[in-house]
Amino acid sequence: MEKIISIMGWETVKTIVGLVGVLIFVVFNALILTWAERKVAGHMQRRIGPKEVGPFGLIQPIADAIKLLGKEILTPREVDRPLYWLAPVLIFVPVLVSFVVIPFDASLQVRDMNAGILVILAFSSLSVLSILMAGWGSNNKYALIGAIRSVAQNIAYEIPLLLALLPVIMMANSFSLKAIVEAQQGLWFVVCQPIAFFIYFIAAVAETNRTPFDLPEAESELVAGYHTEYSGMRFALFFLAEYTNIFIVSAIAVTFFLGGYQGPFLPGIVWFLLKSYCLVFVIIWLRWTYPRVRFDQLLNLSWKALIPLAFINLLVTGGLLKL
Amino acid sequence: MVEKIKAELGAALGGVEIRETEYRERGYHLSCEASPGELLKAARFFDECGFYLAAIVCVDYREYLELVYIFANHSALCKTKVTLKLDPAKPAAPTLSAIFDCAYWHEREIREFYGVLFDGHPNLTYLFLHEGIDAYPLRKEQVLLADEDKKALGAFRPEEGEDTFFVNLGPQHPSTHGVLRVVLKMDGEYIQSAEPVLGYLHRMHEKMAENRSYLQFLPNPSRMDYLGAMSFNLGHVTAVERLCGIAVPDRANCVRVIATELNRISSHLLWLGAYLADLGALTPFLFVFDDREQINDVLEAVTGSRLTYCYFRFGGLYNDVDEAFIAGTKAFIERMRGRFGLYEKLVGGNVIFINRTRGIGVIEKERARKYAVSGPVLRGAGIAMDMRKAEPCAAYSEMDFDIPVGTRGDALDMYRVRVREMGTALDIIEQALARLPDGPVMAEKVPKKLKPPKGDLYHTVETPRGELGIYIVSDESDRPYRMKWRVPSFSNLMIFPELARGNLLADAVAILGSLDLVIPEIDR
Repeated sequence: MEKIISIMGWETVKTIVGLVGVLIFVVFNALILTWAERKVAGHMQRRIGPKEVGPFGLIQPIADAIKLLGKEILTPREVDRPLYWLAPVLIFVPVLVSFVVIPFDASLQVRDMNAGILVILAFSSLSVLSILMAGWGSNNKYALIGAIRSVAQNIAYEIPLLLALLPVIMMANSFSLKAIVEAQQGLWFVVCQPIAFFIYFIAAVAETNRTPFDLPEAESELVAGYHTEYSGMRFALFFLAEYTNIFIVSAIAVTFFLGGYQGPFLPGIVWFLLKSYCLVFVIIWLRWTYPRVRFDQLLNLSWKALIPLAFINLLVTGGLLKL
Repeated sequence: MVEKIKAELGAALGGVEIRETEYRERGYHLSCEASPGELLKAARFFDECGFYLAAIVCVDYREYLELVYIFANHSALCKTKVTLKLDPAKPAAPTLSAIFDCAYWHEREIREFYGVLFDGHPNLTYLFLHEGIDAYPLRKEQVLLADEDKKALGAFRPEEGEDTFFVNLGPQHPSTHGVLRVVLKMDGEYIQSAEPVLGYLHRMHEKMAENRSYLQFLPNPSRMDYLGAMSFNLGHVTAVERLCGIAVPDRANCVRVIATELNRISSHLLWLGAYLADLGALTPFLFVFDDREQINDVLEAVTGSRLTYCYFRFGGLYNDVDEAFIAGTKAFIERMRGRFGLYEKLVGGNVIFINRTRGIGVIEKERARKYAVSGPVLRGAGIAMDMRKAEPCAAYSEMDFDIPVGTRGDALDMYRVRVREMGTALDIIEQALARLPDGPVMAEKVPKKLKPPKGDLYHTVETPRGELGIYIVSDESDRPYRMKWRVPSFSNLMIFPELARGNLLADAVAILGSLDLVIPEIDR
């Protein structure tokens, strides 16, 4: 062990170990979330959800994963093969990278970069590329329409997302996520920036393509949207990425607005996960309550309401800080 | 009204004999036989008077083919049958599709089933059938298709334009509830034109009816509209009873109303859940199933089935209701009244739902008439027309209820009308329960073999989706000579291409859902 450290250097080893840890967490998180989604949905719909496999159906996601792994990997005849194969793999890259900079606890962070939030935003924009690849490569009209919707939606909602985070960065005076958490000792930013939190949360739901903004995969219109032609493990990768994204946007919201890992009595990591999963629950809750908005309404909401509001909020914050 | 129409129609046609018929026996007040030119004149006359074209039926009498046009009115009960005789060797008739839009599909149907050529019809291609069928299926004798007819019928081919592409909405698509296929010509997300392709569930019930006795056909109607099975069952038995002059005991009539209204609520509930699922909200679907289960349990106990009921028999009922049924129905009414508030909070007051449905798929009164839409779609457009009031069968004439109508004719109005209709259905059930008399549930002396007297009948019933018209021609045998089913979803779907044009794909799904289509009923 010491030999490996001496050859590669402490930082590299720490990053690799962290990445492996992140990978395990991502898979574990997706398993928990698929179970949670089905259980929450069940109880909201006067059902009880999965209950047969394991206690409270907890082993159900593993059974599902084994089923998906056991499926034949189908490639439809007319698809654009390189794009079709690459898309599910590529959708995973930004997801993994985002985890590197998220501070789970005061000392539990793979790397604390001084431009941490920029890394997350830059990489999360990349996921739209793999969705486009999937939609285009599938050679299916539903998939293509889904992909086009996804691109328009992601571009429209990245702007309010960033604009909602900027006031916090101004108040904390840093791009580093750890510094932002530390700046919230005493007072969470959600108290001084409620509008920004609100805008961020709406934009985050839209970024993760969840109801009421699930237009890229609107099943009553587009069958399954951009992943119509995917099955088996490839479909599972899209699924995994979606659930990881939900966790990431919630984790960022916790880091920026809800004090991150800070809290009394319990260890930091517990507080962090508790807050994050509360937000995840809200996102699941929304999905099982609301119908889907229409495409033009979706874009109108972003361009005509959220972006101007975020700008005003940013200006007011800047002005107040200057005073 | 009837006198006035008789005089004016006589003046408009000049010299044509217009007979008054016994409405109770025939289901229409006036009838006349026209030549092709007179038919067009009559159609224009009825168009100007604000009538709608309820149905076009073709009957093969071997020596000649007869086209039967039923004109009816939304505001007053006045029905006229206009007939046109055709040469069976080379049948040809003028098209009415330029005057009444709803004739467009009825004529296509007659073209492929009988081989009648409609002069001036813009698109006489297959509607239900497909290439590979050699004969006209509803003709009494085998008439083979000529090669040029086959070619003409199979001429529909979607062609992609420069900036457009085609999307097949269906036949296997989550929002078409069954197997409807709509060929959408898209410009980006906007629909340029929509062309429904029917027949994926076509089972030729009308031909089946000609080959079995009235009693043997009893299970078929509930397979057409599996959600409003009770209404179709009711339509069939009341039509045959009317034809044979069978009087039904009061108790049976009251139970018929209760069972039909329970089934109507269950149909509307399923629509509500499925419509919200179309719009992306999946939870209401399970909420409505919770309510539906109660209805199914109550009905199952007396009818023996949960979906495709065959409860009504000629002359009465299969089974008398018991105390448990009455108690269960009362408990359900109690429960359901409390649920409307929940649905209003969950659905009707939701901003996203309102934004998705307000101003979408607007049907004006005039367009509703031209397309002969019926049921909640028609009432949503603002025309208070309900067959339960206009032509009551069973014990509906004794019930006091109001007809909910919309004001704008958009998808939101259809939603409101259907929800309020569930409330009126509860009122009707309560009244029927209150006056439920004792006595037998089966008429005495109903012959085993029903042989109705010679003649025809156009009988209508209000199903959850609208006007069900049954046209029966009897030749004194125990099986119908011709039985035509004028189904409500058929006309309601016909208006869809016009509503969808120029709208977004998401709106098309919202419009299709608001029409509440049941595909097996359209395809028959």
